[in-house]
Order: sequence, then structure tokens, then C-alpha cells
Amino acid sequence: MEAQLAWLDDPQVFRVNQLPAHSDHQFFASTAAMEAGDNELVQSLNGTWEFAFAPTPAQRPVGFWEPTFNRAGFTTITVPGEIELQGFSQINYINTLYPWAGKTYRRPVGTAVADQVDPATFANGNDNTVGAYVRHFELPNHWADREVHIMFEGVERAMYVWLNGHFVGYAEDSFTPSEFDLTPYLQPGDNLLAVEVFKHSTASWLEDQDMFRFSGIFRDVNLVCLPTAHVTDLKVEALYDPVTHEGQFGATLQLTNDQAVVSAQLTAPDGTIVWDGQTDQSQDFKFPVTEIGVVQAWDHHHPTLYQLTLTVQMGAKTVEVIPQVVGFRHVEITPEAVLQLNGQRLVINGVNRHEWNCHRGRAIEYQDMLTDLELFHQNNINAVRTCHYPDQLAWYDLCDRHGIYMMAENNLETHGTWQKMGAVEPSYNVPGSLNEWLEACLDRARTNYEVLKNHPAILFWSLGNESYAGEVIAAMDQFYHTHDQTRLTHYEGVCYTPEYRDRISDFESRMYLAPDDVEAYLQNQPDKPFVECEYMHSMGNSVGGLGSYNRLVDEYPQYAGGFIWDFIDQALEITDPVTGQSVMRYGGDFDDRHADYEFAGDGLVFANRQPKPAMQEVRYYYGLHE
Amino acid sequence: MDYTNKLHVIFDDGMLGVGGANFHYLFGYERAGIESLVVDGHEWMYRVPQPTFWRATTDNDRGSRFNIKSAQWLAADYVSPCVNIQVAIDGQPLPELPIAPLTNQYTDHDTATTVTITYTYQTPTVPATTVDVAYTVLIDGTIEVRSTYHGQADLPQLPVFGWRMQTPTPVTEFTYHGLSGETYPDRMAGASEGTYTITGMPVTPYLVPQENGMHMQTSWVELTRETTLNNADLQPGPFKLRISSLDQPFNFSCLPYTSLELENATHHEELPPVRRAVIVIAGAVRGVGGIDSWGSDVERAYHLPADQDYQTNFKLELVP
Repeated sequence: MEAQLAWLDDPQVFRVNQLPAHSDHQFFASTAAMEAGDNELVQSLNGTWEFAFAPTPAQRPVGFWEPTFNRAGFTTITVPGEIELQGFSQINYINTLYPWAGKTYRRPVGTAVADQVDPATFANGNDNTVGAYVRHFELPNHWADREVHIMFEGVERAMYVWLNGHFVGYAEDSFTPSEFDLTPYLQPGDNLLAVEVFKHSTASWLEDQDMFRFSGIFRDVNLVCLPTAHVTDLKVEALYDPVTHEGQFGATLQLTNDQAVVSAQLTAPDGTIVWDGQTDQSQDFKFPVTEIGVVQAWDHHHPTLYQLTLTVQMGAKTVEVIPQVVGFRHVEITPEAVLQLNGQRLVINGVNRHEWNCHRGRAIEYQDMLTDLELFHQNNINAVRTCHYPDQLAWYDLCDRHGIYMMAENNLETHGTWQKMGAVEPSYNVPGSLNEWLEACLDRARTNYEVLKNHPAILFWSLGNESYAGEVIAAMDQFYHTHDQTRLTHYEGVCYTPEYRDRISDFESRMYLAPDDVEAYLQNQPDKPFVECEYMHSMGNSVGGLGSYNRLVDEYPQYAGGFIWDFIDQALEITDPVTGQSVMRYGGDFDDRHADYEFAGDGLVFANRQPKPAMQEVRYYYGLHE
Repeated sequence: MDYTNKLHVIFDDGMLGVGGANFHYLFGYERAGIESLVVDGHEWMYRVPQPTFWRATTDNDRGSRFNIKSAQWLAADYVSPCVNIQVAIDGQPLPELPIAPLTNQYTDHDTATTVTITYTYQTPTVPATTVDVAYTVLIDGTIEVRSTYHGQADLPQLPVFGWRMQTPTPVTEFTYHGLSGETYPDRMAGASEGTYTITGMPVTPYLVPQENGMHMQTSWVELTRETTLNNADLQPGPFKLRISSLDQPFNFSCLPYTSLELENATHHEELPPVRRAVIVIAGAVRGVGGIDSWGSDVERAYHLPADQDYQTNFKLELVP
């Protein structure tokens, strides 16, 4: 198969040869390797890559993926990293409007006005910057004759991959892993990997988040070597009965080799083995859900994790060992519409959190996550909404361990297609009820679910943000409910389309609703628990009046709390050429127009992670119902 | 001639001088306010203090258009002329302001137990209103300041009401007893009461410079400076001035910039080099709000309606 530029303009092409999404479990070649934390099955491709930047698709170096291509004109770039922050392309911050506003007239495919634009508007787009990435690698000797995949954890926004001149695949959905099988094209010795990254495609319509608009390979890239028998997917079921405190446990596996035998052990925090099992070849690799007696529940105060260890054997030989943390907890909405965790009312003392680093943009580092968790704990923040895209995988793991409740949001926002100059005007809204956009959106939901399904920290799936509502979002909601009975769904935008209210979102969710208006809902026989998915807009000198929301916690059991907007200012630290001072810059400071200037400066912490003065107020009120 | 149990009063042309053992104050008539406050030889006044009405627009103020609705107060902060001055000695008002030639009836050894000078400022708002600022000097040099805003219907809500002084050189640190951190009426429940020392005059680095640094419910603050503009004062060393509550706690900020300087900057690096301290003592502070930044008002309980009277009262005290 050859790569086609036309895919950029077809919303129904969003993954070509991309492997199915699967759980994010780690795997090791042996118990010893697992205990040493030394994963010889993973090879990082982070670092310096060869790179050529093209301002438009027409100017891109066609054929650069060929081994014989003359790349003398290439320079270098750091992976992971944002193209714009490494000097190649203009930085721009824009909120609701699409970044091509006033420059390129575009309307989404499938809408009534789509025929007014060039059907190749992205492939021909003079705003569609292209990054051509090249990287050589050699495989470790012990990987010979094994299946080798490549995993991109995040690439904005459309990507083509080649190996040794052969087309490997194509992917969209910037914030979830994209994995491809490299095995057919691998060669001994040197291998040439090439990745072409386009800033825009039809995926851009789905990724209109209020943030700096970047492009590039901005998260880790790894080569992964599969053991001869490999668990490709693991679904853990850990159920908790809040009345009896008893747990039930089971797991379903997908394996690459049906001759394998998998033994499994579940270990309590004190080291006791509370359950074990072994598959045989007739079992279809399923450990049925069984009762395992009293367990310690997982919650914010006691993020108790059990350790599941899977050992995959071929004959007598261990070929793969998988560690997987397991948390037992039970989320439900009572008939009185009260949100409960483990039989107790749950109050969300939450924040929305963009991934942000004032030097690296969204290519944040592990230390940034640790700092954020420390700030969460210091300030009684118990919950996070991953706005408005899935985060780096490490963040979910950390939230499991730190007892942070997660609202795991899909990578979806189409704000500019339905809200214009503040008014609701969905004349060309996507995804709406358009079949052209259904599969791309369902795929985003599926990937979010399949990758993250084993994280006890995730209590809620969020369908996306500010995308209006129609059949497509209803189908996303249905996907989650069909595949996952242990979590709740959330979506705010259905407030504009009440006809979908019974089909979308287990919560009554609003953003920035004033305390009096929240109270009016709560007083009127609420049938869903109320959550503010965004509130207390922490822009500049703000966060006054938190007490008026806190009062609702005390007075209305159906008030489930909310997520402050947001955790960290999005601003970039640079050296001011006039004064030599280190200063923060925001939208418009890069001659970027249209820009929404300082509107992304609405964190509880400044862009350098120093808390704003308002944080002591959050610590106090969140501490009252911690 | 020392006056250890009386204030030395100089009824002079253009100003009223009031002195004691280690202090001397000048209350101007042409420059309507306390022109000079010298303690132990160190000057504390850069220009005469003014009533203050404006806070640099916050993001929420801009989003709710409060800065537009209340824009008259920006002009009032900038220029509110003095329209009347009255002097009282030992509590007895003088029938006329003692300017020339009335000053010729006084001597070089006039004394008093208290001296009160009251300035009345008129705002350039439509309609206008007035603010009275009364300074009462006590024998030990303490100055009691009582400032009253006279309510006027048909004016927009106030951003703030207070008294603003500027020092000739920066404050190097200040210690206060009050609430931790930066606080506002609708954002102070989480603060802890205590005594806090702040080094320098930090400006909270909100992306766009705006109102910041308010400290609510303060019982006293002590300002320390280490430099003066006096060319003959070669080693001034640290010296202090104390501001204390008079009848109830006050609110204050101590920043290097006026609200108009903050208002004018789009980034921190545009703010001028730190040369002075701007101390605002605020009797009435509007809340900052927080519901959203594109229209929602501050909650009603934290508004400052213009038709009410507001007081800003405190004491300036010498620190031994």
C-alpha cells in the first residue's frame, strides 16, 4: 500500500495499518527483568532526529523516506518536542476559533456547506506545515526474528510512517498511542525510520481545544519487541461490594500464541496471595470473575493497590511476565441521584489539567507530573479531568498510586463549529449526527477505553469537551456503557440538546454555572448528580466566592463538586530581548493572529508551577470535604 | 528649643509645619496633603498622599466590563482636586485657613497638643462627590488618619476606596499582622492569621499585570527602607514606619507601582524599574470574583455600591 495525501481530507481515514488499541500494561522477558525494572524489550527512539520543515505540503520533501533520498538539506530536531518551540514554525494560541480563521475558508466534510470549499483543503493548505523526521536505528541482537512494533505515544496531528522505504501506516488522534508492526520491513543492521507529520487534517476539526496549537512528535517513541507468546490485551475486572467489603476478581487476555499457558497471581499489599489461576489452552485465556473474600478498597485516602502478576509460559519456559496494579472500588449513582464511591458520597475536589511546561509546551516531563501530584496533595485536590485529551500514560499510573480520581476525557473538541462569537450556532457542527465523522469519533472513544481500562483511578469516562451533541456523541456514550459497567460517563455539551439527555452522560454537567443556578437545579428533584466539569475560572487575580459552591456541598447530596478551570497557566518563558529578564509570554506575543492573548493564563499555578495566591483558598475549601 | 510635651506648630505661608523631638511634618496648602513626613531625619513622602479609587483591571473585571462601567473612578484616582482645607488646634477649628497674611499673627514658639488638618477632595465624576481626609497629629508624633468617602447615588460601583502614599525609595521589607498571602473579601477564608514578613515588594506575576497584593484584615504593618534620596544622608541604614489600625482592621498593599502603572502594562517586563513603594490603605475593597472571566459579576456581597459612605482609618506611628 502506498501513502495517500488524500487521507488528510477524508474523515473516514484515521488509522491505516495501525494496530488495534490495547491495554497499556508493561511486559518483561522474565521475573528478574521485571524486578530489576530493566526492560530489554523496549528501546527508546527519543533523542535527536534528522528533520526538515516545510511550511506547506507543496514544499515538503516528497520521497524523503527513501533510503536513497539526499537529505543533505536536513537539520535536526529533538524528539519528543514541539516543532514550534524548536524554531521552525510560528507559535499560536487561539481558543474557540480554528487557527485558520480569516485565512483559509474551510467547512467540515459532510456538513451542508462542505461543497463550498476545496475538497483537498488540508492537502493543499498553505497553513498545513509538515515535519519530515528521519531516524536510524539498529535492533538489539536478541530481538532478531521477533515481532517488533513501534509505538508513538503522541503526535500532532496526522502522521505517515515508513521503514526502509516501505510505507508502514498512517494515524490521527494526537493524544493516544499509535502502534505499528515494523516486522515485515526490518533488516539486519541499520534501519531507516521516516515519519511525516502534518499539522492539519480532518482531525483538526476534532481537536479545537483551547490551547497553544502545536505540531510534531511530542511524546515518547519506542520500539517494542514482543515475546514469542505475548499478551496483547488485558482486561482486569476488580469489583468491590461496599456492604460486605468483599471483592471479585477476573481477567480476560488476548494472546499472540494460543499454545501458551498463563498463570496469574493476585497479591495483597501485605504480600498475601489472595487469588491465583492458570489458563489452559481450552480456556480461551479468560479468568472468570470469582469471589475472593474481603479486600481493602481503593480510594483517595487509601489508594490500596493489589498486584497482579501474569506469567506466560511456552512449555516450561517463561517468555513473558506482566505486572499490573489492581484497585478494588465501586462507583455508582444511587436512586436518589447521589454519586458514591465505595458506598460513601463522593465529593469531587477537582481540577482540569492541561499537560503544560513553560519551556516544552505539551511535551512535559515526568518530574512535572510528580510536582503536580505534590501540589494536589498539599492543596486537597482529589480529582483531575484530563482536559481535553488523554494524557501521557505515566500520568494514569501515577494517579492510581496517588489516589487521584480521574475523569478520563477523549480527544475531542469542536468548539468553533457550533459556537461563534459566544452564540450557539451549530450550522456546520461536527460530529453532530454525521456518518462521515462517526467512526473517527468512536475510534477515539474505543482507544481511550482500550488503552486505559485497567486504571482504578479512572472513575468517569468523558466523551469530550464543547462539541455540541448529536447521534455521534450518543454512540460514544453507548460504547462506554456497553464495554464498561464499572464506570460512569460524562459530557457537558448535551445541555444544548436536551433531546439527547437520556442517552448522553450519567451526570448533569455544566460549566461555570453560577451557584444560584446550580442550586435551582438541585432544588428541582434532580435525576442526575450535578458536577461542574469546569468552574472557578482561575484567570489572573480570581477564585473569589468559592464558599458559595462549598455551601452546596453541605446542603445538597446530589451536588458532586467540580473541577476548577484549570490547574496551570499556559504561557511560555522566554528571555526578553529588551530587558534580558526571564518573562512569560502568551498568545499574540509571537505576532500570531488571530490570538486569544492571555486567556490561557487561568491556572491555580503559574506556568512555572509556582502556586498563585488563590491556592490557599482552594486548600481550605477543598480540605473541608477532602 | 525642644518640645517634649507639646507639638511645635509653624503657621507658615503655604503650609503648616508640625514638629516634635525626632519628627517633623509639613502639611501643604498648595500641594494638598502631607508633603513631608520626616522621622529621625528620613523622609517618607515622595508626593502628597491621595485618595484612591481605582484598582488595575483584573481579568474578571475586564470580562464583566466592570472596568468600563466604573471607568469614572479611573479619572478620580488620577485627578481629584482638593477643594477645601481646614485646620484645628487642640480640637478647635480655626475660623479661616491660616495663610498669608493671617500667618503674620503667629510666633516662632506656637505649640499644640493636637493638630488636625482636613483636606476635602472632589472627584471629577458625574455627579461629583467628596472625600475628607483628616490628619490628626498627636504629641508623640502619631498621625491618626480618618478618611471618609461620601456616598453619592448615580455613580457606578467603586473598585476600591483608600488612601495612597508613595515613598521616595523602595521598601525593602514589610512585616504585618493579618492574613496570610494575597487576600480579597471573597477570597480570604483560607488565609491564616499571623505575623508575616515579606521581602521586597513582590508583584504577583499574573500574566497581564493587574490588581494584586492586597492584605485584608490587618492590625498593623511595619515598613522598612534602607535608602533615601537625600544626598547628605550617606548611610541611612534600615529605618521603619508603622501603620496601625485605628478602630478596626485595615486592608493594605505595598507594591512598587500605582494602579495606573499596572493598568498600562501588558507584560511584567514593561513595568518600570522599582524606584518607590506605593502603599495603599484601603477601607473598602471589592471582591475579585471567580465564576468566570467573561461576564459574571463579583457576588453582590462583595460589591462597593457608590451610594454608601466608606471609611479608611488608621494611624501612622513612629518606630523607636
